[in-house]
Amino acid sequence: MSSEQKNKSRSTNLTARGEPMVWLTGGGLVVATLMIAGLLLFVLVNGTATFWPKPLKQVATADGKQFLGEISRIETYRVPATELEGLEKTSPDAAAKIRAADGASERELLRTGNFDLYGDDFKWVALHNVTKTETPPNAWMLERQEWGPFLGFIKEVRVDGKAVASTPDEMRAKFNELHGRARARWREVRRLEKKDVGAINHELEQQRLNLRKIELKHGKESAPYQDAVESRARREAELKVKYEELEKNIKAIRDEDARYTLLLAEVGGREKEQKISEIVRAYPANALSFGRQFGVYCSRWWEFLTDEPREANTEGGVLPAIFGTVMMTLVMSLVVAPFGVIAALYLREYAKQGLLLSAVRIAVNNLAGVPSIVFGVFGLGFFCYVVGGTIDSIFYPERLPSPTYGTGGLLWASLTLALLTVPVVIVSTEEALAAVPSSMREGSYACGASKWQTIRRIVLPRAMPGVMTGLILAMARGAGEVAPLMITGVVKLAPELPVDGHAPFIHFARSFMHLGFHIYDVGFQSRNAEAGKPMVFTTTLLLIALIALLNLSAIYIRNRLKKKYVGAQF
Amino acid sequence: MDERHTMETVLEETRTQPMKPHALPPRATPPTQVRPADADAKPKTPSLADERIVLEVQKFNLWYGSSQALHDINLKFPMGKVTALIGPSGCGKSTLIRCINRLNDLVDIIRIEGDMLLNGKSIYGRDVDVIELRKRTGMVFQKTNPFPMSIYENVIYPLRIDGENRRKILDEVVERSLQRAALWDEVKDRLQDSALQLSGGQQQRLCIARAVAADPEVLLMDEPCSALDPIATGKVEELIYQLRGYYSVMIVTHNMQQAARVSDYTAFMYLGKVIEYDATEKIFTNPSKKQTEDYVTGRFG
Amino acid sequence: MERHFDQELDDLKQALLRMASIAEQNVAQALKALVQRDNSLAAKVDEEDNLLDALQIEIDDRAIKLLALRQPTARDLRLLTMAMKISTDLERIGDEAVNISHRAQELNQEPLLKPLVDIPRMAELAQSMIRDALDAFVYEKPDGAREIIQRDEKVDQLNHQLHRELTSFMVEDPHTITRCLNLMSVAHNLERIADHATNIAEEIVYLYEARDIRHQHE
Repeated sequence: MSSEQKNKSRSTNLTARGEPMVWLTGGGLVVATLMIAGLLLFVLVNGTATFWPKPLKQVATADGKQFLGEISRIETYRVPATELEGLEKTSPDAAAKIRAADGASERELLRTGNFDLYGDDFKWVALHNVTKTETPPNAWMLERQEWGPFLGFIKEVRVDGKAVASTPDEMRAKFNELHGRARARWREVRRLEKKDVGAINHELEQQRLNLRKIELKHGKESAPYQDAVESRARREAELKVKYEELEKNIKAIRDEDARYTLLLAEVGGREKEQKISEIVRAYPANALSFGRQFGVYCSRWWEFLTDEPREANTEGGVLPAIFGTVMMTLVMSLVVAPFGVIAALYLREYAKQGLLLSAVRIAVNNLAGVPSIVFGVFGLGFFCYVVGGTIDSIFYPERLPSPTYGTGGLLWASLTLALLTVPVVIVSTEEALAAVPSSMREGSYACGASKWQTIRRIVLPRAMPGVMTGLILAMARGAGEVAPLMITGVVKLAPELPVDGHAPFIHFARSFMHLGFHIYDVGFQSRNAEAGKPMVFTTTLLLIALIALLNLSAIYIRNRLKKKYVGAQF
Repeated sequence: MDERHTMETVLEETRTQPMKPHALPPRATPPTQVRPADADAKPKTPSLADERIVLEVQKFNLWYGSSQALHDINLKFPMGKVTALIGPSGCGKSTLIRCINRLNDLVDIIRIEGDMLLNGKSIYGRDVDVIELRKRTGMVFQKTNPFPMSIYENVIYPLRIDGENRRKILDEVVERSLQRAALWDEVKDRLQDSALQLSGGQQQRLCIARAVAADPEVLLMDEPCSALDPIATGKVEELIYQLRGYYSVMIVTHNMQQAARVSDYTAFMYLGKVIEYDATEKIFTNPSKKQTEDYVTGRFG
Repeated sequence: MERHFDQELDDLKQALLRMASIAEQNVAQALKALVQRDNSLAAKVDEEDNLLDALQIEIDDRAIKLLALRQPTARDLRLLTMAMKISTDLERIGDEAVNISHRAQELNQEPLLKPLVDIPRMAELAQSMIRDALDAFVYEKPDGAREIIQRDEKVDQLNHQLHRELTSFMVEDPHTITRCLNLMSVAHNLERIADHATNIAEEIVYLYEARDIRHQHE
């Protein structure tokens, strides 16, 4: 054999050594990591940028119009032929540029606000039409309780109809002085309405329901009913007095409020008088120092996390949604954990091996593949209508025909999601139980322990880390599901939180808001798609952060358990 | 050194004193066991006829599905002594020992004929409560299996599942068991630490402590040193030697030298049958059957 | 680490020690019987020899069992194998002592031929060799053992000397032949005892140093 041939036969084939596999697997990992990182970065960048106060630009267009607004975004677009023709006549250079660029030009989307004056709050302005751009130093951005933001100038600060400041600096100072108190009054009114008036209403409703209950039980002609009618009438009278008093208070505060107003003017020339108490936040957008900008940014984040939504969920906060998501996830976890673990215990430890057992196991595994909307439909049909309807007719006949448990609510939504995620828990718990070494079980039996004692003292603690993994997966999956929730209890805007100060404190029958659904609603169902877009990113960022937090805490607990029960692996 | 001093004392003694008939001089070093077995007399070859019997296996047969693993086993295990079961892989020794505390009940395809009597009481009788039976036996396994709990909890596990919760009694049992397992000095200051932090040899001694905690009638050991290093093995072997007199020990081992070192009686098994069962001395110096001789001299296979 | 095997080795050493003491005593007794012309002492030597035989069997039995059951190595192995050899040598010493006592009984039937000088000297040497061998065993002094081997030369010399002397006696006076032959036999026995003591010394050197020094001084 020649030395050449010898060398060939001795050197190992690269493929045999597996070099390509290393590259392939490494490449796959890199692609996956890049995708995840890319998504996270995208959400992060867009989500965190939303609340930063942008400068206000005033643009004058070729046709003499003026617009004042925040620049939302810029895009390239095809100039329609008719417009192009018109442009030939008015500004030939611009037309030539467009032709050179093959009919494409740029336009910017200005957020002009002032929905109450013009009927829309975003305007497209073609860049080739812009004649002048400036940043007026006194342009104000005012976020309002209703109608969205007002972008314009403060003409006057009025108290009792008379101007008390006229120069921009004076106005700014005066406004800041009055705003705090105005908002305090507004919050006071709100509190009175929600809490005190609400309490009265609540009691009135209770009275009505009690009466109906007695009516159903004893009949309209019976003595108890007559008594009840009398006592109800008396109580109602008392409450009416209270109510009127509250009304008086509220009116007094409202009157006080009406004294303080601003006269606002916008670039189109229109004016509006605005009560100071209805202004949530206002700032001169082009005259803010970095510190002030950061202050506005932080206060918007705070509002987002702790306040209720306004303006069809495109503004304000998402506190009810956060609350609803957390409550629902908790209730779901509390249901799915024991249920799933016990089911897995039976499947693995007690059930006799055979055809039936295999069939059950296959069914459980396949349950994980069923589309979540199917679970939603099942939840609606079974939980809401059948079970809920039965509960209503037995326990809450006085409220009919309006359903209590017979419609979507916190309980049914949580149960539906529990059903959705139970296969995950069962499968991972079974794996964890199977991973307990048989030597440990035998050791326990040899000491004279019964099966249940072995499971309780040895197997379950040893399997706990695996069970926790399953729970984490279940919680993460459940917290992110939206489809089944839409029909079993989540609403666009919930009138009250599912937890409040009235007994029984947790109201399982109430509808609630959910972050996932909120994203869908704000992004695609809202009247104002452009205003909603930034909120989508911010809410997504929040949801991801929330789930990450849930997962991290569960992982921490699991690691602690691992150290305690599994020990060093020798 | 103690030894030299006492030897020279003996030397002087016998030179100066008149000869004494037939008696050996008194013991030079103190006994290492608490209950030594007649150390002063000339050691007699142990004989099964002189022993009290703690466990009797009667006409015992076992099938795994359709293949028979144990054929007509008849053995009498002596009380207070160490009995070893040796034989090549697959001869049935592990299977036999797992039948004593009915651990083989956990395997569905096993069928059994015959009986065993533990201190006269049937093991495979109709009304036998398996849990009660297992409380009368203690078992140590090849793979050390300390439970995921503290050292203290590990040792008293057999008592806890029996419902014993009185602190005083539990403390006593822990100390006694750990001392019998030669582990007390090493762990007495850290009883609440996790058992999983101990070394392999310590874990096995912990398992032994756990097995003796409930004062079992027999102590079963299934290849207890297979997973240990030589030093730990030596310690465990010395421990087993010292447990005689307190417990009746049955040990399965594939290492026949280990059987020679620790046991009083040895049974040699092959293909599910007992080929020879006699005093360890006899098995290793002059076995009766050729098969046994081939096995102990290493000529097997 | 304490092993129960150490206990068993201890017991074996004890038995060996006991055997050596008895052998030493027997040699002394036999000489006494000869020098003091006491037949009762001679009878005792016979009796004690039975004990020596029993001890030899026991020591060999124990050693075999320990070899089979304990898989000894290094010094433990040398101890067990040398114990068997030493017990053999001690048993032979015992037998030679019995022979001396029989010769003594025969010699006591006739009047003393001449004052015993060489024989006690030989006995003294032989006994010292046994004693020193025991000391070397107990105190683990293989050098002491080496020193014993040199004394064997002296015993051989004395034996030859006595042989020549007694031969000339027998030539001079044929009536002394029985007594001379008996005396020569005793000297021969003592010479054998010294040889066995030498063997024991060589075995002790092997035990403690793992060096085989047999057949080197011939």
